[in-house]
Amino acid sequence: MTAVVTVSRRIAASAERLFDAWLDPKSLAVWMRRDGSAPSGAVADRRVGGAFAITMHDPNGSFVHAGNYTVIDRPHTLEFTWRSAATHQTDSVVRVTFRPDGDATVVEVRHELLPDAEAVQRHTEGWTEIIDRYARTLAEEGRA
Amino acid sequence: MGEYQLDTVLSAVADPTRRAILDRLRVSDARVTELAREFPISLNSTSKHIKVLERAQLVERHVRGRDHVLSLRAEALGEAVAWMTQYREFWEQRLAALEAFVLADADSDVDGDTDAVAGTTSGAER
Repeated sequence: MTAVVTVSRRIAASAERLFDAWLDPKSLAVWMRRDGSAPSGAVADRRVGGAFAITMHDPNGSFVHAGNYTVIDRPHTLEFTWRSAATHQTDSVVRVTFRPDGDATVVEVRHELLPDAEAVQRHTEGWTEIIDRYARTLAEEGRA
Repeated sequence: MGEYQLDTVLSAVADPTRRAILDRLRVSDARVTELAREFPISLNSTSKHIKVLERAQLVERHVRGRDHVLSLRAEALGEAVAWMTQYREFWEQRLAALEAFVLADADSDVDGDTDAVAGTTSGAER
């Protein structure tokens, strides 16, 4: 199956600073964790093809998120595969881009769940829009 | 939802006309003849699209007298929707945490390192 989630945030820091925070295990341990939980365990072999693993802790237990770096283009683009229980331990792809905007940087995360081979054959552009709209509608209904 | 059903759903929504029909049914239920009138396609073609949507269980048909009334079953998109909702929230929270982290760090100036990429290079070389 294929599904894409894109979120972005404008942050008052340089692209270099933000890029490094994504790649440095010491930084990841601090911010790549559930709100209010203990610091995550983070290890990273910071090169293309290198592996990383981030273990996040929350009241329900510890959850490992792991993957391999596929693009390291400082300070523009960081791309890596991403596996976790939520992806049923199959690879998904996360692409993070850093776009300077005045004295801040827009960080965009594009997370794509990879389609299986059959879905690839049938894949046509555009269908994610509708799923995205339903997701938003359901989310709004859930809050109402 | 099994893999097969998911594929059926994805190919059903891959077609722009079928997406338009789903969008129309989000607003309200509709008779097949109404849809055929509202879309610039023949009744025959409309029926074919609806059959595909029914097979994917995205659309349900109720027979009321002579009328065949169609309604949307958005639950069929449930697995994809659940995944997307979960990760949208996940990354929104992470980006908020990233902002808090770099702004706090800028105050204390703990780490002036700007060369993180050149960090670890241990491990097997190819």
